[in-house]
Amino acid sequence: MKLTIESIAQDGYHLICLEGDVDTMTAPDLLDALTALELAALSELRIEMAQVGFLSSAGLRALVFAKQKMPHASRLVLVGTSTEIADVITKTGLTQAVTLVASHDDA
Amino acid sequence: MLIERIDALPTDEIGGLKVRPGKPLPFGVSHTPNGLNFSIYTSAGTACTLVLFRRGDDEPFAELPYPAHYRIGDVFCMVVFGLDSEDLEYGFRIDGPHNPTAGHRFDPSKVLMDPYARLIAGRDLWGELPNWERNYPYRARISFDDFDWEGERPLEIASEDLVIYETHVRAFTQSPSAGTKHPGTYAGLVEKIPYLKDLGINAIELMPIYEFDEFENSRIHPESGERLYNFWGYSTVGFFAPKAAYAATGQFGMQVDEFKQLVKSFHRAGIEVILDVVFNHTAEGNEHGPTLSFKGLDNKTYYMLTPEGYYFNFSGTGNTLNCNNPIVRNLVLDCLRYWASEYHIDGFRFDLATILGRDPWGAPLSNPPLLESLAFDPILSSCKLIAEAWDAGGLYQVGTFPAFGRWGEWNGKYRDCLRRYLKGDEAQVGQLAQRVQGSPDLYRPSGRSPATSVNFITCHDGFTLADLVSFNDKHNEANGEGNRDGGDDNHSWNCGAEGWTEEAGIKALRQRQMMNAMVMLLTSRGTPMLLMGDEFGRSQRGNNNAYCIDSAISWVDWTLLESNASLHQLVKALIAFRHQHPALRVNQFDGPGSNLFPSCSFHGTQPWSPDWSDQSRQLAWLMSCNLPEPQRGVDAIYVATNMAHYASWFHFPSLPIGFRWHLCFNTGDHEQPCHPAEPALDDGGILVGDRSVVVLKAMAI
Repeated sequence: MKLTIESIAQDGYHLICLEGDVDTMTAPDLLDALTALELAALSELRIEMAQVGFLSSAGLRALVFAKQKMPHASRLVLVGTSTEIADVITKTGLTQAVTLVASHDDA
Repeated sequence: MLIERIDALPTDEIGGLKVRPGKPLPFGVSHTPNGLNFSIYTSAGTACTLVLFRRGDDEPFAELPYPAHYRIGDVFCMVVFGLDSEDLEYGFRIDGPHNPTAGHRFDPSKVLMDPYARLIAGRDLWGELPNWERNYPYRARISFDDFDWEGERPLEIASEDLVIYETHVRAFTQSPSAGTKHPGTYAGLVEKIPYLKDLGINAIELMPIYEFDEFENSRIHPESGERLYNFWGYSTVGFFAPKAAYAATGQFGMQVDEFKQLVKSFHRAGIEVILDVVFNHTAEGNEHGPTLSFKGLDNKTYYMLTPEGYYFNFSGTGNTLNCNNPIVRNLVLDCLRYWASEYHIDGFRFDLATILGRDPWGAPLSNPPLLESLAFDPILSSCKLIAEAWDAGGLYQVGTFPAFGRWGEWNGKYRDCLRRYLKGDEAQVGQLAQRVQGSPDLYRPSGRSPATSVNFITCHDGFTLADLVSFNDKHNEANGEGNRDGGDDNHSWNCGAEGWTEEAGIKALRQRQMMNAMVMLLTSRGTPMLLMGDEFGRSQRGNNNAYCIDSAISWVDWTLLESNASLHQLVKALIAFRHQHPALRVNQFDGPGSNLFPSCSFHGTQPWSPDWSDQSRQLAWLMSCNLPEPQRGVDAIYVATNMAHYASWFHFPSLPIGFRWHLCFNTGDHEQPCHPAEPALDDGGILVGDRSVVVLKAMAI
């Protein structure tokens, strides 16, 4: 399944909307979209995850990579992550890098 | 000025990929600027080819023969550029002589796994039948090893303060009664941390978690039709990789992160993680076994071979790793250093460790270089090293294991003596006195301390505690070997009926015997170890060797936690009691004792007069020390054990004015074995029931 990536600057944060699967084939596209941002100057990055069915280890790694480029006090927020993906994030100890929220209102 | 390294650029092209000569160390795969370094050792191999696969593909996308000038000594090394490491699986073909009588078994048609592989794919789901025709079943992948530990580090709890809990990743939570979201996995085990923390243990010892083949010697039971597995996992495929099928995220190749998260979570709960490691043999078996890695890389280096080229079998499992060959020694050292530094592992228990002290021809060495190297290694200096000090070749070294002042031991003599005393055998009290004070007869002559002794009554190998008091004989029919497997020297007693019974008197006695065992174990000096589930009476239905059983016989039945709540409560209270009382954890023989008593003294029904006769089945011990600042005062614990079939009045050792004895535990009190209120006793003694144990402590008025 293809991955569509939409990158939008918002007031106070940057939003990336993902739709599709982040797998070995598409994870490099996500990494490109993330590195295209000025990560070192971002205080908050939100990723819309509700339309993502699968996130591979490469995709997870891309997210953690982005967080490490961002300032220490910044936030990387995943919005609407499916239970299955949230579960993998929790089990592999990546919750310290990302914040999981159900909706933008909770962010 | 920033200058880019010129070794970030390729010099050659092989198989359509850009490459350059690599570096021989470290072995395995390492990340270099822009590339990956592939380094592999073979002394007798004549040529090597790097074989690259896309993830899961049967056919490689590239094969790269190492040019002659990419070989340094006996090491082939090459940097390959432009690889997608997420999507890569790699192996090697080695050419060389195929002459088994000379010890060589090279076969370039086989793709071999890197012995230093840190992430292994191919067998990601437990129990999924493998494709036996596949040329490359276990597939090495690239691990990043960039886990964020957030400043966490190993706990370095003193050995004498540990209470170890031996467990099996799958057996612990596979039963639906475990109520875990991820049964049978590392993540499932993490879900049980609150339970283990509440129990009070501060170290878990995991039965093998290195990648192993659960289908090794797998077969169908002729009568039950059940599939039998290599369930325990004492047969390693990859020493550097956590078992993928034990990870809930194994299918995503994330077992490395999941296992590190497990260690981090345990450490945050104050619990150390000790690994049971199997360096005595591998999953490649003997000449009839599969060729996965070592056999095809350098058979003669890695295995102990007879002069005719057959495999020595000191492990009882087909082959014996040649641990005192310098190459293998370094592999073991590299492996343990990796787990200690990259996974923050707190200690290692070495399966059949005496094999590690045999020379390449099998003779025991007086000064084994591997054991010495491990004892003095700078990276392992704060890791616990614990030996199972015997092997299947008949070498029994409890008390004489070459320890270099560092090694602890599973104390098999403690287990046997405590079991025999518990069932009421004659002539045990003398030895019991040695065992409960940390076995000075075994360890004092060589200058070792009580915590050298890992005290246990049960472990994975043998009866569970509930079975120890419910069966006279093993009942291993489920293993499909006609009940011939498993030990016969169980020193067990069924209390009056073999196996399951409704007889109330027998059930009550069994309950008391389990409590007696736990009290004696947790009031002995040394390092106590419990077997998973024994704290609530887990049974394996009389099976004392359930190595192949992946069913309810092996799985922990968590409903017992409720039905045997009083035993669980007692064990929990005993562990807390042990943590509270330093007198039970004194780690020196001939310690100074306290202002009231010697460090350790023995008593009978009359204080200071133990009955050492062969007919005696009664012994009391009194352990004492002064409390350190800021508490000051005295810690003194009196344990009276009566394994006779009649009750006896035990007179207490007298206390100076201002002190009184207080009752803490009495297993003879069916209604109330634990006494958290610790009532004072003013009668100068206490009636200790038949086959019962009483624990008291001295307190200032």
